[in-house]
Amino acid sequence: MISPRALISRSAPLLACLGLLGIWQVAALILNTDSFPTAIEAIRAIPSILGDKESLINILASLRRMAIGFSAAVVVSIPLGLMMGRSRVVASFFNPLLMVTYPVPKAALMPIIMLWLGVGDIAKMLVIFLGVSLPVIYHSFQGAKAVEEKMLWSGAAMGLSAVQRMIRIVLPAALPEILTGCRTGLVLALITMVTSEMIARQSGAGNILFNALDMGQYDTVYAMIIIVGAMGIGLDAAFEKLRGRLVKWSEPGFDIPLSFA
Amino acid sequence: MNARAVTSDVLLGIVPIALLVALWQAIASFGYAPVTLLPPPGLVFMRLAQQLLTSRFQHEIAATLFRLFTGFSIAVVLGVTIGLLAAASPAINAVVRPIVRVLAPLPKVALYPALLLLLGFGHESKITLVAADALFPILLSTYYGASMVEQKLIWSAMAAGTPRRQILFKVVLPAAVPSILTGCRIGLVISCIVVFLAEMITSTDGLGHVLVTAARTFQAVDMFVPLITISLLGLILNGLLQAVRSYLLRGFPEV
Amino acid sequence: MKVLPSRPDVQVDPAPARGQATAMIEIDGVSQVFQTSGRQNHLALSDISLTIEDGAFVSILGPSGCGKSTLLYIVGGFVNPTEGVAKMKGKAITGPGPDRGPVFQEFALFPWKSVLGNVMYGPRQQGVKPAQAEAQSRQLIEMVGLKGFEHFYPKELSGGMKQRVALARTLAYHPAVLLMDEPFGALDAHTRTRLQNDLLNIWERDRKTVLFVTHSVDEAVFLSDKVVVMTRSPGRIKQVVDIDLPRPRRRAELLLDPRYQKYVVDIERMIDDTSEDELRP
Repeated sequence: MISPRALISRSAPLLACLGLLGIWQVAALILNTDSFPTAIEAIRAIPSILGDKESLINILASLRRMAIGFSAAVVVSIPLGLMMGRSRVVASFFNPLLMVTYPVPKAALMPIIMLWLGVGDIAKMLVIFLGVSLPVIYHSFQGAKAVEEKMLWSGAAMGLSAVQRMIRIVLPAALPEILTGCRTGLVLALITMVTSEMIARQSGAGNILFNALDMGQYDTVYAMIIIVGAMGIGLDAAFEKLRGRLVKWSEPGFDIPLSFA
Repeated sequence: MNARAVTSDVLLGIVPIALLVALWQAIASFGYAPVTLLPPPGLVFMRLAQQLLTSRFQHEIAATLFRLFTGFSIAVVLGVTIGLLAAASPAINAVVRPIVRVLAPLPKVALYPALLLLLGFGHESKITLVAADALFPILLSTYYGASMVEQKLIWSAMAAGTPRRQILFKVVLPAAVPSILTGCRIGLVISCIVVFLAEMITSTDGLGHVLVTAARTFQAVDMFVPLITISLLGLILNGLLQAVRSYLLRGFPEV
Repeated sequence: MKVLPSRPDVQVDPAPARGQATAMIEIDGVSQVFQTSGRQNHLALSDISLTIEDGAFVSILGPSGCGKSTLLYIVGGFVNPTEGVAKMKGKAITGPGPDRGPVFQEFALFPWKSVLGNVMYGPRQQGVKPAQAEAQSRQLIEMVGLKGFEHFYPKELSGGMKQRVALARTLAYHPAVLLMDEPFGALDAHTRTRLQNDLLNIWERDRKTVLFVTHSVDEAVFLSDKVVVMTRSPGRIKQVVDIDLPRPRRRAELLLDPRYQKYVVDIERMIDDTSEDELRP
């Protein structure tokens, strides 16, 4: 039997959600303006969005682009980060470049990229790719750097080549940190996706949001916010589960989901 | 690290940037891309220098900086306060922690339309968005730093006669400063990014707005200028924060 | 945790006259139970009763995990005992205070303050004016041998120097009792012996009551008037040994003194002989 205390702490996030929705509801009722519908009104608008075929396709397309951009970024960034972590030369080479591009919001590159590549999927996926790469490279770098030299010496003594050591020692040892980077990257992917769609209004969730804003369909605006919020929370929770499975052996990392924008 | 190693690192680091700029110049010179799409670096930097002298552009920078600083400052004050309180009081922690877990992974830019509706299209909505985004890293790192304070430091202060209610301010806060500053660094970068994006989405002034306007009129050169500007701003602000950090942490061992 | 007085009917005199062998610290039937992460109960200390006279230098000696540090923290008021009560000058100890000053093995110096800032902390906390506090602190800093280092930060000091600062910081608020938790444990052997000598020199000046936790037999015998030998966990008092060696104590002389050697050998034997640990009440 679960003790009441454990029950409360497990359901605390859910309670927090309900609490926040409750505050929203009350605030909306108090303010009583058109532009701030109550939580219930917004929630009621959700099925109509998800039910509308057009919107649903839009949203799914967004998610697909996000997935591709994210995966590509991960595949490229992890090896790069690991190499930076173990080789000072490689690190010195790439570090300043990364530091300079860090404050540039990748979604802001949308207009330029659109100029070059047109308005297709590739532009959006490229932006997501760029946005996700940075945190994954950084965390892979940190994780690889922290791997104890002595572990690698043991590996070398056992006859492992440099590449084998990278794959079989550095990668697993750095995995917790890498996954933290991926988690940040995932949040960034979602944000970059939404933002780039808000900027390059064309299709996707961000577009739906601003269309509804322009057309005065305020319920839809807030409903869409809830949907996007739920996507963010859902993806994050799913990732945490996956992370727990993959790195059961490491101490629970402090949950700092460094969300950007 | 000795001076020789540092200089060789810096030199090595400039190489990719220099290469990229050279590549940029090469592509432009050899005509692989039309000038309208990819202007040569010389042109861009000249335009940047030009713009920096105009009061119009200075006004845009000022608008962006104003929103950035205001939002960031709010995030610092709120984040540090809540973080400290949550570390000090289990009751507050129990309330704050689940709320943070729910709100943190939420892409706050999704709230932007709501903010626009509620606060209008001026400064307030952008400042609020910046504050909302920069808040969480600062809050979390404050909480983390405050809850990791060495117990014996607190005991030493108590034995020296510090009453319990002063411990938070006299021991926990100073001991947590390294962690807080790390969070502030992240928060600052986030502030730069968010303010720029918000201005791109809807605004009447600011660097982001400059970019979008240039995009609409297909002026490639004018599009590069604000991007480079925000990048430089980010570097400068980061450098300033590092300087403040060095001063405040002069007594702390290198982490 | 509520601290229950063991014998509420007994009257205790307030400040007894100096010079008499008065009870400065009384530990009465103290036990300490900790809850570990597996929700198990761990008995750290079992029924400790001990009296420490004013001006005595008492060592608490025992193997790792015997609860000796816990006992010190209870006297310091940092931890409340699960059972029993610790008293200072007859009054029950309920929290930390400037009458019992700690010196920790980890130094616990405030990293954001300079040496001078650290030492001035106590006096400033007690309302001493800045100029006066600074003057007093500089004197203390000189006494512990760190003149010239007032504006250094802890990170710039060696382990031995940090511990000197920690000592100065505690002495600055004039505690009646010094609680020292394996203060030289983190230092190399050479620094340790130097600091032991310096500690005794400083102590000789005003003969405060000292409670000194250590796992080193020769350190305990060298420094103390009494050695309280504790058993392994759960910690009980195995025996209290009176160290009858003349003061001031010089290391070179003492190491060759057969009485010193006998104390060390006897106590070591006592600690090794664990067969009686469970039997002793």
